Amino acid sequence: MTRGVPLLRRAGAIVALASAAGAFAAGTKHTVAIDGVKYVPETITVKRGDSVTWVNHDPFPHTVTAAGAFDSKDIAADGKWTYVARKPGRYDYICTLHPNMKGTLVVEDAGARK
Amino acid sequence: MKFLSFIAAAALAAAGTAFAQGGPNDAQIAHIVVTANQVDIDAGKLAEARAKSPEVKAFGKQMVTDHSGVNKQATALVKKLKVKPENNDTSKALKKGGEENVKALKKLKGDAFDKAYIDHEVAYHEQVLDAIDKVLIPNAKNAELKGLIEKVRPAFVAHLEHAKMLQGKLGK
Repeated sequence: MTRGVPLLRRAGAIVALASAAGAFAAGTKHTVAIDGVKYVPETITVKRGDSVTWVNHDPFPHTVTAAGAFDSKDIAADGKWTYVARKPGRYDYICTLHPNMKGTLVVEDAGARK
Repeated sequence: MKFLSFIAAAALAAAGTAFAQGGPNDAQIAHIVVTANQVDIDAGKLAEARAKSPEVKAFGKQMVTDHSGVNKQATALVKKLKVKPENNDTSKALKKGGEENVKALKKLKGDAFDKAYIDHEVAYHEQVLDAIDKVLIPNAKNAELKGLIEKVRPAFVAHLEHAKMLQGKLGK
């Protein structure tokens, strides 16, 4: 039964991949909707290592841009963009295409518990 | 260009008076929405091709993208609601004003083109916002149609602010 060995190897590879995926998904996943030319919610507070996905429900592109920190570039209609919050701090961001859209991402140190 | 701004203003002001008998119905509102967007798409396409300043070019490109997006959504909604957009005097005036604007812009080049296009965009967005607030939103009966107009309104405010910022820069 030589065929069993590659099968086992494959199984091992799958387990390795699954745990790698687990490591990346360690943080909590958050979602901010972009709807009606607004970020919903406007302010979101996450722990370091969490990921935030902005989902654009509007019929035209938007951006999620905090000067010097992060920039999604254009997120197409019905598109999304994910950012992993690695650095604690308070980030005010705008849409560079519609600068009257304002949001805030607060990243708390994961170790700091209230 | 003052004259063209006047045409845009007159066309949209007509929206307030032409429907004195109870205002436009949803089929007419849908037609006005699609026409108003199309007029700005046409001007935007011209600016994308002819503007001298990269910022004006980029603004024109964004107008094409944003207003096309709104129209795609409006067209899908109209289909879903089984409403047949109905042509009306406001749509006709908007279309005529748009065609005259494009015709006048085609005669211009360089800085003169950029200034004329942006001046018109400022006046046009001001008037569109006025019509949205005074005519389209108050008269829209269907909640989804009203919702669509309300949801895209802040984007038009952003366009107006952007156009005014460019107007200030070009004026220097």
